[in-house]
Amino acid sequence: MIVLDRASRWYGQVIGLNDVSAEIGPGLTALLGMNGAGKSTMLRMITGQIRPTTGNVTVFGMEPFANADVYRRIGYCPEIDNFYEHMTGRRFVYHLARLAEFGHEDARRRTEEVLHTVGMADRADRKIAGYSKGMRQRIKLAQAMLHNPDVILLDEPLNGLDPVGRHEYIQMLHQLALHGKTILVSSHILYEVEQMTSALLLLHRGRLLATGDLRVIRSFIDKHPHKIRVETTEPRRAAALLAGLPNVVSLSFAPGGEALQLEVNGPNEFYDSLMSISLAESLPIRGLSSPDNNLESVFKYLVEK
Amino acid sequence: MGAYLYFSSVLEFVRAKRLIPWLLLAVAGMGLAAAWPYLNRQADRTDQYTTVSAMLVFHVLALASAIYSLSIVSQEVEQKTIVYLLTRPVPRWKLLLARYFASASVVALLGILGAVLVSVGVYKGGAFANPLLGKDIVALIFGAFAYGALFLLVSLLLNRAMIICLLFAFGWETIVPNMPGEMYRLSVYTHVMAIADHPSSQTTPGPVSIASGSLTASTLTPGAAYVTLLVLAVVLLAMSAAWFTHFEYVPREDAE
Repeated sequence: MIVLDRASRWYGQVIGLNDVSAEIGPGLTALLGMNGAGKSTMLRMITGQIRPTTGNVTVFGMEPFANADVYRRIGYCPEIDNFYEHMTGRRFVYHLARLAEFGHEDARRRTEEVLHTVGMADRADRKIAGYSKGMRQRIKLAQAMLHNPDVILLDEPLNGLDPVGRHEYIQMLHQLALHGKTILVSSHILYEVEQMTSALLLLHRGRLLATGDLRVIRSFIDKHPHKIRVETTEPRRAAALLAGLPNVVSLSFAPGGEALQLEVNGPNEFYDSLMSISLAESLPIRGLSSPDNNLESVFKYLVEK
Repeated sequence: MGAYLYFSSVLEFVRAKRLIPWLLLAVAGMGLAAAWPYLNRQADRTDQYTTVSAMLVFHVLALASAIYSLSIVSQEVEQKTIVYLLTRPVPRWKLLLARYFASASVVALLGILGAVLVSVGVYKGGAFANPLLGKDIVALIFGAFAYGALFLLVSLLLNRAMIICLLFAFGWETIVPNMPGEMYRLSVYTHVMAIADHPSSQTTPGPVSIASGSLTASTLTPGAAYVTLLVLAVVLLAMSAAWFTHFEYVPREDAE
C-alpha cells in the first residue's frame, strides 16, 4: 500500500531521510524515532508534501506529490499545532470536509459524525484559539478521518493528551486498524508505542534501523545486561541479598547512598526475584527504575549491534 | 468545489480584522476629498476628484493588493496551515486560482468603495452622477486583478515577498509613472490610469502631481491598457499556477 524504495531526502547539506526502503500494509504500524530522526520527513513524503531527493515513494502505486487521487484515500494528522484559530472546531472540520469533495449536506453530516467519534461534538462550537492541547489533537484527528480514508497517517498524535485521552485515542486506532485501515503513527516515546502496536519502523538519524515486531527487538535487548536502579533505605542489606542472584552481573552503590545500581541479565527474571526477596526479607524498596527501558537504549543497542 | 473555494476564501478575506484598516482608509479618502477645496482653492470638482482618487484610491489599490496577495499562499505557509490545504484532493492550480480570484475581488471591491467615498466627499449626494466614476470602477477592477497576479507570483517565488511588494507598490509605482520618456509604460499604475482616462490635471507640477503620477504625460490609450493588463494577468497567473503545482510548499523551519 505504502512503498518506500531507497528514498532519501536532503535539506541542503542536511539529510532528513537516508536510503529508506519499507513497505507498510494494513494494520497499525508505529514509526518510532527520537526527535530529528526523520519521522516527519517520511510522513511528508508519503503525504506528497515533499518529494524524495532520490529513490521513490508510492502510495497505492501512485506518486503522492500533489496527487489528488492519493489524497482521496489518505488522511493526515500533522504534528504542527497550527489551525485557523478564528474558526470554531466545527467550522474547521466542515471546511476541510468541503475541500475533501463533500457537498454541503454530506459535509455537515460527516462533520458531526467525526466530531462525535473524537468526542468533540459538544465542544466544537468554541473557537479553536480557546482549545486545550488535547482538544486540538482531537480536532486534527477528526479532519484526518473525514473522508473515511484507507490510510491514516498520524504525526505524534498523542502529544498533549491526558492518560484517559491517550487510552481512548489508542482504542480508536485499534478499532480503525481492525476495520482494515492502514494506520501509521509516529512517536518518540517507546512505552507509548508498546501500548499501541508491536509492528514498527525504527528510524534513527534518518536511517531505518529496524523493522518488524517490537517484542522481538525487546527480547534481543533483554538478552544483554540491563541497568537497573533500586532505591532502598537499607542499601547494604539489599546489596548482600541481591549480589547472590544468578542474573546480577554487577552491583554498585549509587552516589548519595540510598540506592543500588545493578547490571542484570534477563531483567524480567530479576524483577521476579527482587519481589520475592523484598517480601521474604521485608526489604523496603522505595523506587525502581531502568535507564535502559527507553528509546535511547534501544537505539544504543541496535547501533552497537 | 471551485465555487466553495472561492466563497470561503472571500469570507476569510473579509473578516473584520482584515477589513477595518481599509475601511478607515476609504473614509479618510472621503474626508480628504471633502477637505480638498480648502487645501487647493483653484481646484474644480473634477480636479478635486481626480487628484484625491489618483493619490489615495489608485495607489492604495497596489498596497491592498500586495497585502491580500500574500494571504493567498505565503501567509498559509507562515502560519503552517498550508498543510491542511495541500493534503486535500484539490488540484493545486484550482486552489491557487480560487484564492487569487477571491483576493482580487475583495481588493477590487475595496478600491471601488474608496472611489465611491471619494466621489461622495466631492459631489456629496450626487456622487453617482460623477462622470468619472464608471471608468474608475472598471480601471480598479482591472488593476486589482493585474496587481494581484503580479504580487501572487512574487510571493510564490520569494521568501521575503512582502518587502519586495511594498517597495514595488510605493516605490516603483510612484517613481516610474513620473519618469521621462517611455519608462512610464513599465508601471501597472500608468495602465490603470489610462483605463480610468482622467482629464489632465490643472494642478501645477509639485508633490501632489508626483503622488498622483501625473508629472509625465501618458500617451497610452485605454484599449492598449486593457490588453496589456489582461495579458499580464493571464501570463502571470499561468506562471504562478505552474510554479505552485510543481514546487514544494512547506513551512520554512520544517523545510530546513
